[in-house]
Amino acid sequence: MCALPVVDFERELHRKYLSRFLNHRIPSYLLSMDTNRSVLAYFCIAGLDVLGETEKISGERKQQIVDWIYRLQIDNQKDLVSGFQGSTTLNTKENKDQNTPYKWGHIATTFSSLLTLLILGDDLGKVNRKGIIQSLRALQLEDGSFKGAIEGAENDMRFVFCASTISYILNDWTGIDVEKMIDFILKSISYDGGIAQGPELESHCGSTFCAVASLALSNNLHRLSNNQYKNLRRWLLFRLETGFNGRPNKPSDTCYSFWTGGALKILNAYQFIESDNNPKFVLMTQDRYGGFSKWVNSVPDPMHTYFGLAGLSLMKYENLEQVHCELNCTKRVHERLKTIHANWK
Amino acid sequence: MSDSSSDECDTQHVLFKNRPEWSDVTPLKQDDGDEPVVLIDYTEEFEDCFDYFRAIVQKKEYSDRALQLTKTAASLNPANYTVWQYRREILKSLGKDLHEELDYIGKVILKQTKNYQVWHHRRIIVEWLQDPSKEKYLTEEALAKDPKNYHAWQHRQWAIKTFNLYDEELAYVDQLLKEDVKNNSAWNQRYFVVNNTTGFTEQILNNEIDYTLGKIKLLIENESSWNYLRGLLVHDKKGISHNKKVADFCETLYNEGNRSPFLLAVIVDMCSEQLTYDGGDGDSIYTVMRAKELCNDLATQYDTIRAKYWVHMAETIEKQAKEQDIQDTSSSTK
Repeated sequence: MCALPVVDFERELHRKYLSRFLNHRIPSYLLSMDTNRSVLAYFCIAGLDVLGETEKISGERKQQIVDWIYRLQIDNQKDLVSGFQGSTTLNTKENKDQNTPYKWGHIATTFSSLLTLLILGDDLGKVNRKGIIQSLRALQLEDGSFKGAIEGAENDMRFVFCASTISYILNDWTGIDVEKMIDFILKSISYDGGIAQGPELESHCGSTFCAVASLALSNNLHRLSNNQYKNLRRWLLFRLETGFNGRPNKPSDTCYSFWTGGALKILNAYQFIESDNNPKFVLMTQDRYGGFSKWVNSVPDPMHTYFGLAGLSLMKYENLEQVHCELNCTKRVHERLKTIHANWK
Repeated sequence: MSDSSSDECDTQHVLFKNRPEWSDVTPLKQDDGDEPVVLIDYTEEFEDCFDYFRAIVQKKEYSDRALQLTKTAASLNPANYTVWQYRREILKSLGKDLHEELDYIGKVILKQTKNYQVWHHRRIIVEWLQDPSKEKYLTEEALAKDPKNYHAWQHRQWAIKTFNLYDEELAYVDQLLKEDVKNNSAWNQRYFVVNNTTGFTEQILNNEIDYTLGKIKLLIENESSWNYLRGLLVHDKKGISHNKKVADFCETLYNEGNRSPFLLAVIVDMCSEQLTYDGGDGDSIYTVMRAKELCNDLATQYDTIRAKYWVHMAETIEKQAKEQDIQDTSSSTK
C-alpha cells in the first residue's frame, strides 16, 4: 500500500463551509437540490454537530431553522401524506396551512427533518406523531419495502431505512409490518454476502448500511444467520483499500467511510480494520476552502462533508463527537432522544 | 403532440410571464417564510417557470400548455418528483401518445443517467404501455457510458424480470465481462440470469465454474470473479471444499506461488468448512493447522490492512476445532 501524504484537518474551515450553506444563498448550480433543501440543511447541521460546533449557531438562528422545518410539516390524514416536505417548492401564500395537491410528506425528508429538529434542541413537541406513523403504513409495499412518497417515488432499501429511523425516533413501530420488512432485507442479500437495494440487485454499501441499520434499530440484528453475518462482515471488510469503496472494484469514495464503516460498527466488526490510510484518504478529499468531496480534487458538497466527518469520527479522529451510526446523529443527540422518549411515556 | 416543440432546442428561452398564451394565469410566488434556510440562488428562468407551475398545480389544469410547462420545469430540475407526477397525470388525462413520451424520457435519461426520478418515469410509462421492447437498448446506451450505473441495471433487471426478456442476456453479460472482467455489476447480472432461467443444476454449475475459473485465470486479483465462484459453490451440495475442480485449481495456483488474498481466503474457508462438516478429515489438505497458517500469512504479509480480522479468524477456527474435538470425543465414548 502506497503511503498517502499527511494533510491537516481544517476544523474551522469545515465549520465555515457548512455554516455558509446554511445561512447564505446556495449557488444556482445546485438547483437540482431544490426539492431536498431540508436534506441539505440536515447535512450541514449534522456535520456541525459532529464537529461539536452547533453551539456557535445563535439561539435566534436555531429557532428560525426549527420554525422553517416545522413549516414543512404536513398534517393530512385524509390522503395519508403526513410528514415533512423536503422544501417550500410548492408552498404559496395562497395555499398556506391548507392541504392542497402534492403537498405531501416524503419519507426521506421526514427522517432528516426529525433529526434536524433534535440536533437543534427541539423536543419534537409539535410533531404530528400519530399522523406520520399512520401515513408511513401507506408507504410499505407488499414485498416489505417502502416507497418514498404516496405517489411518484420508487421503492428500495433507502426508504426501508428512513421508515425505520422515523419509527425509532417517534418510538412507535406500528407503522411498519416489521416481519415483511425483515423478509425484504433478507431477500436482498446477494450471493457475495453484501446487501443490495432490493432482491437480486448488486450489493452496495449504501443499501447494506440501510439494511443493517434497519435491523439494528428494530432490534432484529439476530435475524441474520451466523453464515449471513460472517459473509456480510467479510464483504464489508473487503471494501477497505486506500479508503472505503461502495462495491467491489469501484474506487474509494469519502461517503463510504461512513456507510461501510458504520455498517461494520453496527455489526460489531469495526475493530478489525485499523488502517492509517483511511483517515488520510478522507483528508485528501478535504477542500482547501472547507468541506469534503467524493474523490480527491473534486467539488465538495454538504453530503460528503457530513459523511466524511462522521467517517472520521468512527476512526476516533481529532476529538470529533461520537456518532450513533444507526440513526445518523451524534451519541449526544441520541441520548437526548431517549430522554424525550421517557417523557412521552 | 403539441408540446413537441422541444424546449431544449429553443435558442432563446421566453419567460412564461412574457408568453401571450399564459397571460390569463396569475403566477404564484414561492412562500419561503421570513427567514429561509439553505436558500438556493434561483435563476430568473427557474423562478418564472415554477411560479407558473405552482399556479397550474393549484388550478389542477390538465392541458397541452401545462404539459409543455412540465417539460421546461423538468429540464430545470429533473429531480423534482412532483413535476414528473403531475406530468403523468396530464398525459393520462389528455390521453397522449405514450410512445412519444417514451422517446422524450429516453433522451432525458441519456443526459441524466443517474437520476432516480427520470428512470421512475420511464418505468411507469413502460408499465402503462406494456411495451418493454426498447428497454434493453436504452439501458445498453446508458451502460455504454458507465457499465456500473446502478439505476440502469436496476431498470434493466426490472424489465427483464417483468416481461421475461432473458433471451440473449447472458451473451450481453459475457460481452461486458470481455470488456472488463472486473465489472462487478455484470457478474451480478450473470447470477441473476442463471438463477432465473436454468437455475444452478449440476450441469449448469459445472459450466459456470469452468467459465469463472477461466476468468480468474485471466486476472487473479479480481474480487468479483472470486465472489461469483463462492456464490456458485453455495449451490454445490457437497459444499465449497469438495469440488475437485475448484480445489485443484486453487492448489495449482497456490503451488505456483500465488498469494492473492482472494485465493488464500477461499482456502481458509475450505478448511473452516471441513471442520464443521466432518470434524476434520485426517487425510484432507484442509486442516485447522493450514487455516491458521494461511490466516497468519494474510495478517502479516498478504492482507495486512485486515490483519486483525485474520488473527480473529485464526482464533475462531481454532476454538471451533477444539469444540468439535470435545464433541467428537464425547460422542465416541458414548
